[in-house]
Amino acid sequence: MIDVEEVLVHLHDVAVGYDSPLIEDINIEVIAGDVIAVLGPSGIGKTTLLRTIAGLVRPLEGEVELAVPSRGGLGYIPQRLGLVGNASVRTNIEMGVRVGLSRWYPPFIPVPAKQRTYADRAMEDLGILHLAEHPVRILSGGQQRRVATAKTVAQRPKLVLADEFLGELDDDNVDVVMRTVREAIKAQNSAMIMVEHHEELARQVANRIWRIEDHRLVEELVR
Amino acid sequence: MNKRTALVGLGLLGLTFIVFIDLVGNWGRLSGGWTNLGIFFEESLWPPDWSVLEAQSYPVCDARFEFTCSVAWLGMVETIKIAFVATMIGFIVALPLSVLAASNLSPIEFAIPARILLAAMRSLPSIIWAVLFMIIFDMGTLAGICAMSFYTVGYLGKLQFESMEGIKNAPLEAAKAMGMTRTETAWLVAIPESANNLLSHLLFMFEYNVRHGTVIGLVGAGGIGLYINTYLKLAQYDKVVALLLVVFLVVVVIDFVSMALRSAVNEESDVDRPTWSSLFLPAAISSAMHPTPMKKEPSGESE
Repeated sequence: MIDVEEVLVHLHDVAVGYDSPLIEDINIEVIAGDVIAVLGPSGIGKTTLLRTIAGLVRPLEGEVELAVPSRGGLGYIPQRLGLVGNASVRTNIEMGVRVGLSRWYPPFIPVPAKQRTYADRAMEDLGILHLAEHPVRILSGGQQRRVATAKTVAQRPKLVLADEFLGELDDDNVDVVMRTVREAIKAQNSAMIMVEHHEELARQVANRIWRIEDHRLVEELVR
Repeated sequence: MNKRTALVGLGLLGLTFIVFIDLVGNWGRLSGGWTNLGIFFEESLWPPDWSVLEAQSYPVCDARFEFTCSVAWLGMVETIKIAFVATMIGFIVALPLSVLAASNLSPIEFAIPARILLAAMRSLPSIIWAVLFMIIFDMGTLAGICAMSFYTVGYLGKLQFESMEGIKNAPLEAAKAMGMTRTETAWLVAIPESANNLLSHLLFMFEYNVRHGTVIGLVGAGGIGLYINTYLKLAQYDKVVALLLVVFLVVVVIDFVSMALRSAVNEESDVDRPTWSSLFLPAAISSAMHPTPMKKEPSGESE
């Protein structure tokens, strides 16, 4: 039996940047099951690459092909986490499950019980179920990172883009978060691209590394 | 401040002075102004005539507290009712319009017409709206409610869409990347993120409408302004002063209540709970009387 790899992202001759290109000639694929760490010094274009794949920035050149559903297929954890501070932890996480429902499902009606269990399970896995009714703005930085992760896990996307989402977490919590994310990726046969500053950590959690050097993306295989 | 900024600042000050002098024209006609004001104050304004707080002779008052049959009470209660209904109608209509007008939530082809509509609604002062609605509905509270509601939509809508445009970009980007619809983004992200400002603006608008009740009442649109207008026509300025002091007192009370409400939604100390002294005394004295406690650490475990 031939094992056909599921390509989730394909970048053809892509150049990313705002006014001038930060990274050029990117030709790369992301396969289901990949955990990719993007490494490089600050300001080199790692976040811009992630934002380009997320469809938030247009590529200066080339084409980004995403083989994931436009609604709910992509989970994005920005550097500042993108949580709604005034809303409760539960409301934030249920935003993740909501995109799995029809786009015509009214936003002011609570999500159905089945989808609610996805949120509960994600909160339980990440140890934040006891904070479910707290507004996000009162949580510590590390707790907020676990909420952002739970939101993406509950969403069950095909591709997760995470920008330095392990920052502010201690070693134990990095383990908990990464274990939960890995299990979710395995269960959904999805992939993850994460920007990371700590090379050692990146090598522990990723199976591929994209290093940005001299405006080029260089691939390293970890395992 | 560099030399160029200083020169521009001085130039603007000079221009202001020249235009002011030109506008006033004949300074001589201002002589004796303060004396005239003093005479008017002593002879007509002070002391206020507090009979406005007594029950009216007709109709006969059978209420438990006679005060509730007074001109001040009846007028003020009607003004508060008009302001409340108009503020709520205005808020409900302004909210979707402000979502449409916010450039970070709606495409430009929706944002521009929505902004034009809001600008048109607030470009006419509520007194002009009151005149227009009096032509349609005759004198009375309905004209007052419609006039205030229209103005509220224009004014509140602008404050609201500016608040929504000021929210952080990260939650909006996360919502967009996830594939949330515009309605979902507005309802679940933009409105909660700007909720403190929206509530603050709503309470401000209510207070503004109560104050403005005196103005639109002048053209017969109901409320305490109707009584003020009557006393002005009869040159009973001491009664007008008494009613204006009642309005002032009510506005202060509303201000206190609105601060308390805002601090209630920010119970985790974004806004300090107000004290009576903070309303009436300078900040330095008030803070000396009620030193701010140390802020609490976030609840739950820390990382």
